[in-house]
Amino acid sequence: MRRLLGLALVLAALCLPATSQAAAPERVVALTPFAANTLAKLGVTPIGIGETLGGNERFSPKLKGVPTLPLSHPNGPNLEQLASMDPDLVFSSRTWAKGNQAMQRLGIDVVLLDPRSIREALADTFEIGTIVGRRQYSRDLVRSMRKQIAAASKGIAKHPKVMLILGVGRTPFAFLPNSWGGDIVTKAGGELLTAGVSSGSGFERISDEVVVAEDPDVIVAVPHANADDIPSLTEYLRNNPAWASTTAAKSGRVYVSVDNSLLQAGTDIASTIRKVRRLYLEN
Amino acid sequence: MAPEGQQREGRGYLRRTHGPMGIAAGPPEAPPPLPLAAQGITVEIGGAQILGGADLELKEGELVAVVGPNGAGKSTLVRAVSGLQKTSGGSISWWGKELGSLRGRDLARLRAFVPQRMPVPAGVTVREAVTIGRSSHLRPLGRMTGSDREAVGAAIARAGVERFGERALTTLSGGELQRVQIAIGLAQETPVLIADEPTSQLDLGATVGVAGLLRSLVGDGLTVLLVVHDLALALAVADTVVVVSGGRTVAAGPPAEVLTPERLAEVWGADARLSEDGGRTGLHVAWVPEAAMGTGASS
Amino acid sequence: MARRSLVFAALLVALALATVASLALGAVRIPASEVIDILLGKGGGGPNQQIVESLRLPRTVEALVIGAALGIAGAILQGALANPLASPDVIGVTGGAGFGAILIIILFPGSIALLPIGALFFGLLAATLVFAFAWSGRNRGSAGKVILAGIAMLSLFTAGTTGLLAAYPERAPSAIFFIAGGLTSSGWEEMETIWPYFAVGFVFAAVLIRPLDRLALGDDVAASLGSRPQLIRLGAGVAAALLAAASAAIAGLLGFLGLVVPHVVRMAGGSSSNTFVVPASALGGAALLAAGDTLARTLRAPIEMPVGPFMVVLGVPLFLWLLRKAV
Repeated sequence: MRRLLGLALVLAALCLPATSQAAAPERVVALTPFAANTLAKLGVTPIGIGETLGGNERFSPKLKGVPTLPLSHPNGPNLEQLASMDPDLVFSSRTWAKGNQAMQRLGIDVVLLDPRSIREALADTFEIGTIVGRRQYSRDLVRSMRKQIAAASKGIAKHPKVMLILGVGRTPFAFLPNSWGGDIVTKAGGELLTAGVSSGSGFERISDEVVVAEDPDVIVAVPHANADDIPSLTEYLRNNPAWASTTAAKSGRVYVSVDNSLLQAGTDIASTIRKVRRLYLEN
Repeated sequence: MAPEGQQREGRGYLRRTHGPMGIAAGPPEAPPPLPLAAQGITVEIGGAQILGGADLELKEGELVAVVGPNGAGKSTLVRAVSGLQKTSGGSISWWGKELGSLRGRDLARLRAFVPQRMPVPAGVTVREAVTIGRSSHLRPLGRMTGSDREAVGAAIARAGVERFGERALTTLSGGELQRVQIAIGLAQETPVLIADEPTSQLDLGATVGVAGLLRSLVGDGLTVLLVVHDLALALAVADTVVVVSGGRTVAAGPPAEVLTPERLAEVWGADARLSEDGGRTGLHVAWVPEAAMGTGASS
Repeated sequence: MARRSLVFAALLVALALATVASLALGAVRIPASEVIDILLGKGGGGPNQQIVESLRLPRTVEALVIGAALGIAGAILQGALANPLASPDVIGVTGGAGFGAILIIILFPGSIALLPIGALFFGLLAATLVFAFAWSGRNRGSAGKVILAGIAMLSLFTAGTTGLLAAYPERAPSAIFFIAGGLTSSGWEEMETIWPYFAVGFVFAAVLIRPLDRLALGDDVAASLGSRPQLIRLGAGVAAALLAAASAAIAGLLGFLGLVVPHVVRMAGGSSSNTFVVPASALGGAALLAAGDTLARTLRAPIEMPVGPFMVVLGVPLFLWLLRKAV
């Protein structure tokens, strides 16, 4: 009996190291702004962050001075540039599928994080923290983020019907509930015009007939454009003859947002919700 | 051999074409303008001088055959006088009017050009093709009148292609197609018909048919200008033969006078002789010169 | 002749059906009786009237006009270039229009209102360059030169478009719909700006029908009849460019129509005479686009799909069936 117990103890001791955390990666590259800003919040400075041409990513001031890697299709970062940084781990996105494969072949660990809802973003925040050895810290961080989000979505007075669209021109895509922007707006108390529709990508072209029939109170457009394009784009959208009969158009509640806060998961979720409530939903 | 006299028995649809565009023949003393008078034509294509001063003349009611070696410029000369080829010098006048002064539509009422081989479009019937030939008589967006339809029918009948009037062009043989091309030209209802080597790609039987058709058109009162390769054919059908060599006109006149053995040797470099025997014409050639060397007589 | 009349009748029926479907069907269910009332001016206001008058009606008209325009453009180009593979793409128009539109979407999104003008301008520019090159040097205006110049220009502009898309991948989704080709329910706005180009193109094409028939018998016969072959080709190119550029300005890159509809019509009617093919291509193109567009916006309502694939699904089986029966 004592021999068996001793054997069990030895076995347990052997297994223990496997369950404890592996050594945290030191050289980390973050290709998405979400991963980069989350790392910054966790007090970890990546050795490189990704930036797309013409994109409007907002980075935490803590990331100033971190070398940037330009991102383009289909690999994402230039693989030679990335390799020369000698990273242990790369936080990437499914967009750069080819590059991710190549990185893995180079022996670099790749973690894919594409959160499309607040819930996913919080879960991913925790996962990032776990991977870089800040588990406890990230648990607290997520907890405080949850509190802030709850506070930001308190006391919603009205639930206006919102059409959230992506892109420019007469053929915009509407955000569906299973997209980042759709989730934010829903959390902020808006009722999405596309509620009930779902598709793999989270975006679809919605018939203008449905728009007229559903009659949204607010229209928010998220084009890929620059800040100084906002006035002309707002004008253009207000004058879309197809939407002329909607409450939104008639009451002038057509807005344009060019930052990425509705487009891509960010780390300042609570303040985004507050902004949406204040500027667009007025609730 | 020239045919016996110019028989102007023309009847039927050609009656209306007597006199182009109603131009008066002028005072009785002045000679009427020739259908075609071309002098000193020079043509340059791609930097090379194809014609260096060629002449050509048509008298009403005759069949003129233009002959010459390959590359001499026969086709180029005929295309130039027809207005299809730009010239760099010389004068061309149709019924006394300068070619340059004639608009496309007007020229289309004076002469019809039948190319050697036109592209054969799919999905077009003989009647449709001949109808297109009639379009020079129609206003840009105008409709076909009864008389236009009659003219198309007459052209088809005259060319002897009634049998396949509704067939697609792609189903016709070489000889049949050549007749259809002539029908298209006839639908233009012009006093002058020009054909560029109409028989060069036809077999014996088809050639005989087309030759007979062209000769009978002259019998109807048409003036016909041909480019031909076959010298025996030229002898048989032409009233006048024009010899073009090295880009110039070297001879013009009745076939028997022009196509002498000396001319054949000088222009074609061949020991040959044309003969005529009871309605048939023939070209006798010493194909292998060594064998004919020294012998002057021929059988 | 009887066969051609039959084909015409069939096309008219198809056109009528497609038009009715386009007006009666949509993402929002409106009973047919109400649609008729609204069209007759007896609508009672409200969203349904808005939908039929400001969305479905202009869209149906656009589909008919653009479908006809592309069908005609393909027919006259195939006639003028004597090449069965000729289509508006071949003279560089669609490549240029695509580039012009993508340029605005990606580099100047603030000026998005100018998208139709940009597409129109670059479409016509591309066609002009094609004709300028084809008319220079030897063999001016020959069909072979036009086609080669057109392919070169198409490649050039497509490369430019691809480059822009690759450089700005996040802006690509807005561009994709234009490239896939599709109509939008933007009321009469775009048609009000672009209609003169259609009008001129249609009139020009009508005037060219007989000259094109002459050209079918060869340059020599056409010249004998008093036409100038090079001028006819140039005229056909200009008319096709106007119609195709105007179409692209509104509906993006719809490539299938201009190439296939004239062939379908030719095989069905058994005739290549342009007096038959050009008008029949207009009817066929209009019917096909209206039908395809109706499917594109009703099959997965409320989601709107690009119209290109639906035209292909409708047109290709018919095309292949006729091809089998033809020689």
